[in-house]
Amino acid sequence: MIPFASGLGLILLGGLAAYGLDRRPVLADRVFQWIAVAGCLLALAPALSLLFGGGGGIGGPVDPIPAGPDALFGIDLLSAWFLPIVLGVGATIVAYGVPYLGPERGHRRVGLAHLVLAVLLVALSGVVTARTIVAFLASWEVMAVAAWLLVIFEHEKRDTWDAGMVYLVLTHACTLALIGMFAVWQGGHADWRFAQLARSASIGPVATGLVLTLGLVGFGIKAGAFPFHFWLPGAHAAAPSHVSALLSGIMLKVGIYGLCRMLALLGPPPAWWGWIVLLMGLASSVLGVLWALAQHDLKRLLAYHSVENIGIILMGLGLGALGTAYHQPTIALIGVAGALLHTLNHALFKSLLFLGAGVVVRETGHREIDRLGGLGRRIPRTALAFLVGSIAIVGLPPLNGFVSEWLIFRGLLGAGLASGGLRVAVVAAAGLALTGALALACFSKLFGVVFLGTPRDPSAGHRAPAESAFIAPQSVLAACCIVIGVAPGWIAPPVARIAGLILPQPEGGAALGALGSALPLSALAAVLLLLIGLGWSARQWTLARRPQRSSATWGCAYTRATGRMQYTASSYASPLLAAFGPLSGIQQVRTRASFHTRAIEPILDLLARPLWSRVVAAAVRLRPLQAGAMRWYLLYAILCLLGLLLYLQFAGLP
Amino acid sequence: MTFTPVLGLLAVLLLAPALPGIANRVKSALTGRRGAPMLQLYADLWKSWRKGVVYSPTTTILFRLGPVVLVCTALLAAGLLPLDGTTSPIRFTGDLVAFAGLLALGRFMLVLAALDTGSSFEGMGASREVTFAVFAEPALFLCFTVFVVATGDLRLQGMLGQPLAHAWLATAPSLLLGAASLFIVSLAETNRVPIDDPLTHLELTMVHEVMVLDHSGPDLALILYASALKMALFGSLVVRVFVAGAMVSAPMALGLLLSGLVVYAMAVGVVESVMARLRMNHVPQLLVAASATAGFGLILLLR
Repeated sequence: MIPFASGLGLILLGGLAAYGLDRRPVLADRVFQWIAVAGCLLALAPALSLLFGGGGGIGGPVDPIPAGPDALFGIDLLSAWFLPIVLGVGATIVAYGVPYLGPERGHRRVGLAHLVLAVLLVALSGVVTARTIVAFLASWEVMAVAAWLLVIFEHEKRDTWDAGMVYLVLTHACTLALIGMFAVWQGGHADWRFAQLARSASIGPVATGLVLTLGLVGFGIKAGAFPFHFWLPGAHAAAPSHVSALLSGIMLKVGIYGLCRMLALLGPPPAWWGWIVLLMGLASSVLGVLWALAQHDLKRLLAYHSVENIGIILMGLGLGALGTAYHQPTIALIGVAGALLHTLNHALFKSLLFLGAGVVVRETGHREIDRLGGLGRRIPRTALAFLVGSIAIVGLPPLNGFVSEWLIFRGLLGAGLASGGLRVAVVAAAGLALTGALALACFSKLFGVVFLGTPRDPSAGHRAPAESAFIAPQSVLAACCIVIGVAPGWIAPPVARIAGLILPQPEGGAALGALGSALPLSALAAVLLLLIGLGWSARQWTLARRPQRSSATWGCAYTRATGRMQYTASSYASPLLAAFGPLSGIQQVRTRASFHTRAIEPILDLLARPLWSRVVAAAVRLRPLQAGAMRWYLLYAILCLLGLLLYLQFAGLP
Repeated sequence: MTFTPVLGLLAVLLLAPALPGIANRVKSALTGRRGAPMLQLYADLWKSWRKGVVYSPTTTILFRLGPVVLVCTALLAAGLLPLDGTTSPIRFTGDLVAFAGLLALGRFMLVLAALDTGSSFEGMGASREVTFAVFAEPALFLCFTVFVVATGDLRLQGMLGQPLAHAWLATAPSLLLGAASLFIVSLAETNRVPIDDPLTHLELTMVHEVMVLDHSGPDLALILYASALKMALFGSLVVRVFVAGAMVSAPMALGLLLSGLVVYAMAVGVVESVMARLRMNHVPQLLVAASATAGFGLILLLR
């Protein structure tokens, strides 16, 4: 326990130092960077030793704070899986955030932002280690508000403030759903520990259904799953890039953690819940990536990909629930394992991509994809890291995204071989394939347009700091993507163990067997890399003996091509979006002399905002009630009192 | 351990460049022309391989890496197929996902190589390539799903190998629907009529060809070879479905596959002779129809 608590203490201390030393920026940055990163790594130690040490379970905390049965916080295996996501990825984000916010010193409160970031990391760690309802909800709320403060860092911009407000409303809707869930679940019991929730698992089918539904809504909002995702693109795009990485890479995962914790405490859910989660996952993944393709803003595009990946994770979880309900232990385990692994993988590559996007923003000063281009020459190392992240997120071999998507594919295809109603789930494999192909289209567009070719807008000037300040965090994340992709064997045992604990299966041994066959992927990756290496050497050897010439790109005999004549991202995506028609969320804006397209957020702009204005219009009618005269308020108080008395009279005292 | 799997792999790798030649020859014959020699592509490959290269100053290492990755992924994907009807040289549960993943990696790197040139034409081709792939990929997976469910095996070796012979006795309608869908998908994946015309000479109407306009010399040779190999791979998928019905020894099955590939190439040539390519915005409709075809086959299996 000592390392975990003191590690979190160090993170907070670093944040306080950054705040306190605001007058001496160089010292503040150094102190914050070193102390907070050291704190992250220190707090990570017990989780890692639990994950790879064998042993451990879910429920009994290994490291309780305070010690004893009344612990508020503690690490069990499920927490240990999510702590590296929070603190490991968090460490890279802290290291990146310091140089990233450097240019803001002087006109913004950078020290305060670092302090809030430290608080956010501690709160996130609190959420995944909480052992009681109160500790959980308190950490949850601190997390939500701290994240909001970071989202509105550039609060003078109207879009940023607007996005922050949408996020704030949604996060409280989420907390409300969770309070409702705990209220139904706990049923007025005096014991608020999670252990008690596990004991009251047999609360009847109706209450269980209500808990599962409220949990799915609450955690679904936090995870950014369709149809609750609409707060996400705005907030993630508006925040500073390292905060976007933290929100997308880490905070969304807390929603997945919540679902896993709920399942582990509540026991196997009924089949209908599994179908809903699977369908939600399918809708999130396909629509998320389709809407990503429509975006003109670099960071909004990446944010929509989080919706897609959360969808893939939910497909795995839904498959796990279905496999359990239909008594197919192997399929259930593969589904949950795929979901858990994809959670980690997405944290790694999505943070990597957002950090890369941050370098692009610092380099050019804007996020419009159609005005970027040719950055591969100016920031080559960032381009390489971004390429690794792109290949990983598209789910291509030999990187980590392929491993987890392969697991989920295997589970879905395996479902087709099962007997009974589960067989229909096999169709979702085609949906996952569609998602993968759309992601390929989207990231070929993004990487190709931003980093390749020539600059489309040469006026965008060079900004400080230099690229080299951002390389180390990106390299660490890229290396993790590669290692998990090439050698998934070492991470398979803990994943299999935790998957078997979230949804216990009668044949627990099958899990390790099924995941043990993740090893052929290592062989495949090795052969692929070897072949590419050999092919490259053969090519080099041949070309050394051939004449080489340099000549302008072939332009169909037109020799005065400029950067602006290159194919734009909008044109690139246009045939695909046209094929999907109005579903693609693209609006065309035409005037007599101009034409442009605008990517709308379909749920927010077509559903939530109109609904909200209806609510406001209805609320205006209630305005006479708030006349401002004291006698009316006294009357309300008396009426309320009378109502309560009548309630007591007729409902009876407890 | 027999050597037919490796023999099959070598045979397909060597004979792949003949397939486009056969298709073109059939097309010439049916349209009353003499046409190029059947083995023209071998000559083209040899010629390009010996030539020098021209690089645009816009390009980076990705432009040079693209063709290499394209060929390597196609080679490795070939190793996943049970060409002799019994054994794949590389096989594991769920290898069909790796098959699709490897080809997608090749496509991704080729598309990036195209965008690396900064040319509008190549951007246009890349855009079309990924657009068609979006609709071909679910269709391919639905076809795979049909064969997985029909055979109960999650390995290409099983779903296209001997278990399929028994499946033909029990679930022939589904397999026929799956095979028909797979044939359409194969035309899309190998850029043939009615999705793309490999012989077109107008940049604005090209798909695959316009993506590789800037490649020259050995780079171009690699791309040409990879295209032919991809045709052989998808041809093998289609042919394996049909010849699996014949329960014969491994060498016989390999012979059947190779002669089946010739028939496949001729069928591609016939399709190219009797119909024009579709309008670009109608291609997704064809591929969705292919998905629906495979989907019906799947429903027959799941009922």
